[in-house]
Amino acid sequence: MKKGTEDVLLNNTPILSTEDLTYIYQKGTNSEVTAIQDVSVDILQGELVGIIGHTGSGKSTLIEHFNALKKGTSGRVLLDGSDIWADKSKIRSVRFRVGVCFQYPEYQLFEETVAKDIAFGPKNMGLSEEEVNRRVTDALTYVGLSQSYAEKSPFDLSGGEKRRVAIAGIMAMEPQVLVLDEPCAGLDPKGRATVLQMIASYRAKTGCTVLLVSHSMEDVAAIADRILVMNRAHVAFFDTVDAVFSHAEELQEMGLDIPRITQLMLSLREKGIDVPANLYTVQQAYDALRPRLKGGSRHAQ
Amino acid sequence: MLSDITIGQYYKAQSVVHRMDARMKLILTVLFIVIIFLCKNFFSLAVMFVLTAVSILVSRVPFRMFFKSLKPIIPIILITAALNIFYVKKGTELLSFWKISVTTGGLSTAFFMAVRIICLIMVSSLLTYTTVPTQLTDAIERLLSPLNVLHISVHTLAMMMTLALRFIPTLIEEIERITNAQKARGADFESGRFLERVKAMIPVLIPLFVSAFRRAYELSFAMTCRCYHGGEGRTRMKQMKLSAVDFAALGVFLLSLAGVIVLNRFFQAMI
Ligand SMILES: Nc1ncnc2c1ncn2[C@@H]1O[C@H](COP(=O)(O)OP(=O)(O)OP(=O)(O)O)[C@@H](O)[C@H]1O
Ligand SMILES: [Mg+2]
Repeated sequence: MKKGTEDVLLNNTPILSTEDLTYIYQKGTNSEVTAIQDVSVDILQGELVGIIGHTGSGKSTLIEHFNALKKGTSGRVLLDGSDIWADKSKIRSVRFRVGVCFQYPEYQLFEETVAKDIAFGPKNMGLSEEEVNRRVTDALTYVGLSQSYAEKSPFDLSGGEKRRVAIAGIMAMEPQVLVLDEPCAGLDPKGRATVLQMIASYRAKTGCTVLLVSHSMEDVAAIADRILVMNRAHVAFFDTVDAVFSHAEELQEMGLDIPRITQLMLSLREKGIDVPANLYTVQQAYDALRPRLKGGSRHAQ
Repeated sequence: MLSDITIGQYYKAQSVVHRMDARMKLILTVLFIVIIFLCKNFFSLAVMFVLTAVSILVSRVPFRMFFKSLKPIIPIILITAALNIFYVKKGTELLSFWKISVTTGGLSTAFFMAVRIICLIMVSSLLTYTTVPTQLTDAIERLLSPLNVLHISVHTLAMMMTLALRFIPTLIEEIERITNAQKARGADFESGRFLERVKAMIPVLIPLFVSAFRRAYELSFAMTCRCYHGGEGRTRMKQMKLSAVDFAALGVFLLSLAGVIVLNRFFQAMI
């Protein structure tokens, strides 16, 4: 288990929960689609949850419920123990507490300068100008962009930079729960690593709860405490990274790409070599295999 | 909601009307509009009403679809009816107060106009429900091709129309996506006075235009890469052919035209 994961899971007060949440698109027509069904999960204060699932498994639909953009056909969403739909006039404040950054957020930039665009959320919160400026400066730092970007036009940036500005726009609201839908989609390996690094360090600095939607097991395994696996509108697994990867074969049946190293371990097991199946980093595999290698560690290193 | 817009919405079904040549459907729709304006009394209007009803039945498009397309113009129908009731002063007076009086003539004119508008809307929706938008623009292109003589590039116009129709659903989806993203940042579209609401649209409109232009560029590059160079010498994958059904339908419409002319002569004109 990852360092720190125990701490987070021990301190188990749920901040965001769903109760039997179901959502049906185009209800009442002959083309009804049940996007999520009976989803009941508890997201704990301060943890980083990776949400994975094949295309169309309902991940995006689920997170749109977290900040009240969609209202479940049935079921409830609780934030800090109270139903987010209980008081309609508080919906906007829910959106400030649960910051959601959608897939391809770079297409929502609209202001003349990066700083103004990042300030859009904080301004809507009605913060003072000083506070807004502080948050814009902080957010730029969180996403690893230098202050010289503040006065540039967001339309003159590269795709990856735009993406980071858009994420900064959500971070600047300093939400209690930060939800990111595929923040790495369409980025090269280096860009992906940067974004993941950025999210991890933001969380370390602010201690906020993070939900990270992704297609890639490798990305999620590296930084998540727990993984929520969606399969055809249902929750398939919701457990620690180790526990989820111990179901590697079922995951593959759901069409998920488990990390390469885990695949390797699985095929070793098929060949009759007794190695654990719940490995997902090269280091772990190295530790597990070393005793078996003749000639000691010199060769393997 | 935005998704209620029915422009260019095709309703998939197996029917004679669906199978008809788009050019003929287009011609017949125009013919219908002409005939219905020729109608001078309730007898000739009845002919067109029956024709509308029969076309709808034959098309196998459920009636609720027509009701859906009628809904947005109910206010217009009501306003025209009201104007007719109060302005037309013919026949016997039914009631009067202050400067306003309602006559039998006013009532029947109002009814006449309402039926006429309803038939018009139904028949034009029938055209879009039973014809795929690309076929429709294709038909327009061919029917207008004589204009090429005047150096008007009908093909370009038709291509623009096809593309516009194709991108309506895409843009609607895009609007919903951007709206959601800005709402997630606390944008408020529901409250405030008129001017504030218009201002609140800016964070949606700018990204929408940016992405519409991006799409347009990408599309034009893609078309250029496939050697698109306009209509000259371009052949078609789907050839249009007139069949017996098309001529039969034309026959029915011409008969109705004859009926309307005759009935207009025999009975007193209403309007
Ligand atoms: N606007 C919509 N109308 C009808 N059905 C929809 C709509 N949006 C999504 N769906 C359907 O709901 C299901 C879940 O979609 P969702 O977008 O939540 O999937 P996802 O897990 O986010 O997929 P991806 O990984 O591709 O982003 C899919 O089957 C999809 O076809
Ligand atoms: Mg999605």
